[in-house]
Amino acid sequence: MSVAWQFYISTVLIYLGVDIIACWGLNLQFGVAGLVNFAYIIFQAAGAYTAAVLTLGPAVPPSKGGFQTYVGGAHWPFPLPILAAGLVGGALAAVVGIIGIRRLRSDYEAMVMLVVSLIATSVAINQVRLVNGPNGLALVPKPLASLVNLSPIGYQWLFVGLTAVVCVCVYWLVHVVTSSPLGRTLRAVRDNEPAASALGKNVTGLRMLAFVLGGVIAGISGAILVEFISAWSPGSWLYAETFVYFTAIIVGGSGNNFGVMVGALLVPVAFLEATRFIPQFGPPGLIDALQWIIVGVLALVFLWFWPRGVIPERRRRFPTATADDRRRLALLPPRTGR
Amino acid sequence: MTRPAAGAFLAVADLHREFGGVRAVNGASFEIPPGRITGLIGPNGAGKSTVLNLIAGALRPSAGRVSFRGQDITGQPSYRVARHGIIRTFQLSSEFARLTVLENLLVAAPDPRGEALWQAALGKWYWRPREQEMVAQARELMARFDMSGKEDEYAGNLSGGQKRLLELMRGLMARPALLLLDEPMAGVNPALARRIEQHLLDACAGGLSMLMIEHELAVVERLCDPVIVMAQGRVISQGTMAEIRADQEVLDAYLIG
Repeated sequence: MSVAWQFYISTVLIYLGVDIIACWGLNLQFGVAGLVNFAYIIFQAAGAYTAAVLTLGPAVPPSKGGFQTYVGGAHWPFPLPILAAGLVGGALAAVVGIIGIRRLRSDYEAMVMLVVSLIATSVAINQVRLVNGPNGLALVPKPLASLVNLSPIGYQWLFVGLTAVVCVCVYWLVHVVTSSPLGRTLRAVRDNEPAASALGKNVTGLRMLAFVLGGVIAGISGAILVEFISAWSPGSWLYAETFVYFTAIIVGGSGNNFGVMVGALLVPVAFLEATRFIPQFGPPGLIDALQWIIVGVLALVFLWFWPRGVIPERRRRFPTATADDRRRLALLPPRTGR
Repeated sequence: MTRPAAGAFLAVADLHREFGGVRAVNGASFEIPPGRITGLIGPNGAGKSTVLNLIAGALRPSAGRVSFRGQDITGQPSYRVARHGIIRTFQLSSEFARLTVLENLLVAAPDPRGEALWQAALGKWYWRPREQEMVAQARELMARFDMSGKEDEYAGNLSGGQKRLLELMRGLMARPALLLLDEPMAGVNPALARRIEQHLLDACAGGLSMLMIEHELAVVERLCDPVIVMAQGRVISQGTMAEIRADQEVLDAYLIG
């Protein structure tokens, strides 16, 4: 394989990994717990900014030739910025969650999240000192680049491996939640909040838990992305990006971790990569605009015709009665009624 | 105003609740005994459902007290009330639509394991034993209710009557000390209604205490003792159904017509 192809494929694989991680986080919130988080992308952005700032080192003032201003710069060694990004994503989710999901009905909650997303973009653009405003952060050093002495293509494959490791860790986390009684209870909260509450479930706490876990995962996905592309600006996380992830989840199969993985492969990766090969036509920017429209149409078509997605949520069956069950059944009082 | 006796099972004292100027519950006081099915009847708008919501913690009272087995539970959120052993069912079926019938019951089981994140992270070996117990209990219950064939069916796909059964099964699965029933037979055919009646009598014979809102007086007569009558947000009479039928105020408020 030529080096150019290797670069292309490894880059696509890293994007795929980032999108899979992000979709798992959103699926935990939306597919499992029923939280309509239209601000999901801001948690990815918070993680990306955190990882960038903690890798870049202290900001150099413009008088000394610095070209970007930001707060809290530090030189943290490799895995720490990614972990910190997860913590910041989770902390931001806790704050937004306390305001947005504790007391609101889900339709209002969705609106609040959309507004939060717009506010966050506006703050990041206008508070230039925070994360360098509209220009964003650039020249973020690549992790481990100074330690390992690899060719550029070797480093690409190293990063693919690193992304895969993070994918496995995040999968373990989402699997622990969705395969356990906790996941079942979250799905119950999704289906009927008052009924879950009447059965002794702390609905607010459970929703907050799913929201914060999703925030942690989003933050980690943003950190991987920024460490790879070395730059991050408000244009990377427009509110519309959230809908790409929603579409991926709806297409793949809301509530199914494997389905969501397929959705991440189909929508943000395969679908958006394919448009790259469309010959340029019409005024500049037309294809980009059409992408958004087509993603929206894709979501609508699936919601109409295949609302459960390509790989629907799994029906949980339990092993049939054991000898012990049959013994208990034999002790039952005679059946009544009918 | 009546004061709740110290040892009362469930005591409601001088409960008030307004909705934007409308006094839905206006000084309701009563006690219910353990081990019986207490009926709560009254014309539409009497405040029965509101009282049930106030006991269950779905609504907060604007004044008054609710105490259960000597503990003050006034104004606690519904999940805390449930953890005291007071479980309620809903007038409109409230199944978890995209969970199977068995999963609906498992969610209701008391003392779950693996429902906190750290417990889930410990893995299957930690929560599986309790899960298997719960599954066995749920299967007993489904067999008793003739619902074994629906074990793996999504609850959202059940018929209206089966949803009513599931509602009751889920309440029983929680092993409550007190079960609050909001019209458990609403909208079901007479044959199924008789089956539900029988299940309620069985549960009562098993020692379960219940408070039941019911419109069908024949049903109340068969199942409930004592009976509490509400009108205009207050308790206007209580006693056995025979005593209530003799009460002129009740006749005026409710039974005429």
